Amino acid sequence: MTKLRTINQLARVEGHGRIRLEQQAGRVVGARLELYESMRLFEALVLGRRYDEIAEIVCRICSICSTVHKVAALQAVEHALELQVSTQTDLLRQLAVQGGQIESHALHLFCLALPDYLGCNGFPELAQRAPAELQRGLEIKALGNRIQELVGGRAIHPFNLLLGGLGSVPAADSLKQLIDQLQELLPAALATIELAAGLNETLPALHPLPCCAASGGPSLFGEQLTTSDGQQLAACEAYAWLDERLVGYSHAKLSSFSEHGPYLVGPLARLNLDVPLEPSAQAALQRYDSRLLGAPLTASHLARAIELLQAIERAMVLCRQLLQNGLLPERAAAVQPRSGSGTALIEAPRGLLLHQYSFNDAGYCTAAQVVTPTAINQGAMALMLTDLLQCLPDADPDSFKLQAERLIRCFDPCISCAVH
Amino acid sequence: MNRPRLAIVGLTACSGCQLSLVNCEAELPLLLEQVQFELFPMACSPVQMAEQYDVALVEGCCTTAHEVELLRELRNRSRLLVALGTCALWGGVATLRSDTPRQQLLSQVYGPHPPLDDGLPRPLSAYVTVDTALPGCPPEKKELLALLSDLVRGNLPPAGVSPVCTDCRMRENLCLLQERNQLCLGPLTLGGCDARCPSLGVPCEGCRGPAPEVNLTEALAVYQQKGFDQQTVTARLQRFCPEWRHD
Repeated sequence: MTKLRTINQLARVEGHGRIRLEQQAGRVVGARLELYESMRLFEALVLGRRYDEIAEIVCRICSICSTVHKVAALQAVEHALELQVSTQTDLLRQLAVQGGQIESHALHLFCLALPDYLGCNGFPELAQRAPAELQRGLEIKALGNRIQELVGGRAIHPFNLLLGGLGSVPAADSLKQLIDQLQELLPAALATIELAAGLNETLPALHPLPCCAASGGPSLFGEQLTTSDGQQLAACEAYAWLDERLVGYSHAKLSSFSEHGPYLVGPLARLNLDVPLEPSAQAALQRYDSRLLGAPLTASHLARAIELLQAIERAMVLCRQLLQNGLLPERAAAVQPRSGSGTALIEAPRGLLLHQYSFNDAGYCTAAQVVTPTAINQGAMALMLTDLLQCLPDADPDSFKLQAERLIRCFDPCISCAVH
Repeated sequence: MNRPRLAIVGLTACSGCQLSLVNCEAELPLLLEQVQFELFPMACSPVQMAEQYDVALVEGCCTTAHEVELLRELRNRSRLLVALGTCALWGGVATLRSDTPRQQLLSQVYGPHPPLDDGLPRPLSAYVTVDTALPGCPPEKKELLALLSDLVRGNLPPAGVSPVCTDCRMRENLCLLQERNQLCLGPLTLGGCDARCPSLGVPCEGCRGPAPEVNLTEALAVYQQKGFDQQTVTARLQRFCPEWRHD
């Protein structure tokens, strides 16, 4: 029997974090999520880089979210340079982002979260105990990657998405084939919703959280952000409002929402803030609305499953639109560097994402801000841990830790993004 | 090696190399028969380190004292250690602006009192002996699967030698450098990626790091002839590999 050394690290999340317990006489009196992921300092690394390099560098903040980082960065830089893109480019970017949504949500639901509910350690044991479910999840995930590869050139760090356009536009036949592949997966997506709805949740019902999301419609791109308690801000005001603060126990800055909140961002927040849905996803939301609207965090998995269906439907709509418009070759436009600032707000799989850059006359970056959903959610995560502690006052440290980890997984954290 | 016991760990990384493995959706069931995922925090719980592993696959460069300690432990407990991806092999994007004092970079992001748990990002070879490496940002899935196949059979993969230009020639691509006057790092970058980017009309950004024995001086002369200024070329060269300097 090999001696195993336990490492205090959250498993089945992206990046490095730990839950630190404070104990008194064998009882848990405090719990804190520490994001100790290495600081890569992207916001400093892009300073002095030219406008045409920013997006290629910052998409490396993360791999699961690299498409959405790339698109957000491109949009922010284009905003700063007052560069317009064609409808075709915008639709193709939307399609790539939907691909990322599909891949990310399938990865989380099937590989990262589902094991908890089936008593498995991860996909290896899922392959033994629930092979059909794992297979279904991997098929859906693969299609999300296929979309990102088709449009972005590669599923991770999509080099084909460029400033002002794309390297190569996908062929019409590829999009037609994609529509068929998406159509074939609709039953799997519906089955996933049933799976998520039927999970045996052992976490107690915690207080619902106020929500925040970018309000750009089904594209997931937003000119504004809105909150469930009625606030509305333009993209250019968002960074100041989010009001990031450094806390001693985390390498990720925490959004303090200018003394409001904390707000939740992510799939549950989006569904609660009326992000428009395609027909089948809308029907699913209506069917389960009592379990989703104003619901506590544990409804996140069901929300994610409905968003998976939404992303598949939406991707089909985008493909049809692109085919209807007719695909044209595009060369990325010649760019005149100029001084200016630009902001982009996008709903990434895990929630609100903000990129903001400033450039000097020669087009070199003088300021950069990236605010990621998991960083934003730190306040909500801390509040929920406190809530959990109050619900489980007599839990022994080990079982509390397990519940706390399951709670954090509801947020689907991406810690490399949070710290960047 | 009968069902080698794997440790798959990320240090200072984006998880792209680990995700590339999980992105082998069609092959995962087969992989599960051929290898054992023993330590894989991103995908498996709990996070417990065993006394011995057959292979440790480590993604990312190494920054903090905690990461150095973890890396050394993995090296000591593993028969083989693989540097997975360009960050592990060369340093990668985290090593940008490594000329600037680290304290300045920290202050630019966090203000006057940044977190203390920090270090300088370095490739794995700065701290441990690496048995083999997989280049790429991210690595190609087919290379990752080939590596695992080799390991199962008790082999290490052969080192790549030819640059991306070779891959472009095999695909009969238009040369973006010669014919479109674009800053393509193909002549200097290690191939094996099927010239993925140039094949879609996007110049190679050098994400796989340097090919062995490239003629840097000659390449720089060509870039200069094409009208690229030194600052632009240097910046591009150092995006993934800080060692790739010329003075």
